[in-house]
Amino acid sequence: MPDKKVTIQATRFDPDRDEKPRLQSYEIPFSDESMVVLDALNYIKSHVDGSLSYRWSCRMGICGSCGMMVNGTPKLTCNAFLRDYWPRPVVVEPLNNFPLIRDLVIDMDDFMHKLKSIKPWIIRKQEIPLGGGEHRQTNDQIDEFRQFSECINCMLCYAACPVYGLNNEFLGPAATALARRYNLDSRDQGLTQRLPVIADTEGVWECSFVGECSVVCPKGVDPAKAIQQTKLDTTMRFVLPFGTRE
Amino acid sequence: MPANWWTRSRRYFLYVVREFTALPLALWLLWLLVEIKRAGDGPARYSPHGSAAFVVFSVIVLLFALYHSFTFLTLAGTIIHLRFIDRPVPASLIVLSQFALWAVASGVIAFVLIWFGR
Amino acid sequence: MIRRQALLHLLYWFAFAQGGVIAAVLIPVHVLIQGILGPLGVVPVVDRHYDTWVRVLGNPLVKLYLLVLIAVPFFHFAHRLRYLLVDLGVPAAKGAPAQAVFYGGAVLVTLVTIWVLLTTVPISFG
Ligand code: SF4
Ligand code: FES
Repeated sequence: MPDKKVTIQATRFDPDRDEKPRLQSYEIPFSDESMVVLDALNYIKSHVDGSLSYRWSCRMGICGSCGMMVNGTPKLTCNAFLRDYWPRPVVVEPLNNFPLIRDLVIDMDDFMHKLKSIKPWIIRKQEIPLGGGEHRQTNDQIDEFRQFSECINCMLCYAACPVYGLNNEFLGPAATALARRYNLDSRDQGLTQRLPVIADTEGVWECSFVGECSVVCPKGVDPAKAIQQTKLDTTMRFVLPFGTRE
Repeated sequence: MPANWWTRSRRYFLYVVREFTALPLALWLLWLLVEIKRAGDGPARYSPHGSAAFVVFSVIVLLFALYHSFTFLTLAGTIIHLRFIDRPVPASLIVLSQFALWAVASGVIAFVLIWFGR
Repeated sequence: MIRRQALLHLLYWFAFAQGGVIAAVLIPVHVLIQGILGPLGVVPVVDRHYDTWVRVLGNPLVKLYLLVLIAVPFFHFAHRLRYLLVDLGVPAAKGAPAQAVFYGGAVLVTLVTIWVLLTTVPISFG
């Protein structure tokens, strides 16, 4: 089929001129079955309208920067195939629950602060000097946290989370999953430094286990599980007689 | 965020239904409390609830109760992480054992309710 | 380490989880037998006759069981309904007054249940 076409409706918003975002329709050639939504955006940018703004980088589901709402669902646009939507029009909007900067670009400051607040690095009570050798881990110890270390910070889970949508003070899925990734790491001793953030009122207790974060996560991280397990562990540490109540 | 966000997708809707199960279950337990209280009325005046409306109400509550049991036991099973002889117990096994517990408890309770009612 | 307000949330969640398990495991069979099969006359059930109902209710173990069956799930219900209100756009359900109303309500149901169980049928070991 030589002239197969696909309709893309993309959000346009120029903060200097527009009062609110609007959808603009583009009809572009659907030349190749393996085309993804990001390819369509790139086509528009290079052939139709060079002013369209959006983030992307790797084009292979690694960098986590191309997250947008595709027909209402948060997706990595480099991983959303046009053939799954065609012949219906594909509506591409900026990620839900974040302030809009321009077109398809959202402001991710809030997420960056949250990420930093859970101290996503290995914390030792006493640093071992470099000459002291490496921290060894068994495969079992790595399996404990591996799943939660797959996160690429694409923020799809925040866009899917109604709790975050209602209250953006909520620490949210990815940050909690990453906190758990370090708390479960046998080399880490930073739990007590992270607890005041993850077990605070705007931390895990805010979550009501909608579970949508885990459905949309492109990396199988299962942040919903991380949050509920954090609730359970924190509670057990507190209510069991031999728990530590720091 | 608009207050009707949960009508936008099936999964959001099912989540709200899951949370809503609390209301019918609470009403039914309050009924049970009244049934217990009425045992104080004395032999002449005691008559158990049994109207058609009550049975219909119970059928609706039962649907919500089953939905709560299924969702709660399944989700709880995926959260609990146990180790047995140094190996993590698979979530499916934990879920299965919880459903088994549910079945056994239901059997025992049904037996008591019926046996002592003869 | 954890703020006091957050500790309260920890306890709410703990009670919510306990109540959820009790509700999931115990309630359906009661509804089926006492709410449907009993009234329809399919099977004999303890609460269909005054004598059998009073005899069972006098047993202290039954009293304890009924207390768990009725009171504990209310902490689950209170928690869920409070969060549901927040979800449906009532942020006031978050505040301390709402917490007092909802979890206080569960405590009230507990006290009423204890009172009903102790006052309607005297404890007996028959
Ligand atoms: S947890 Fe998944 S959805 Fe959330 S930011 Fe990480 S990779 Fe993306
Ligand atoms: S462009 Fe990097 S994840 Fe899509």
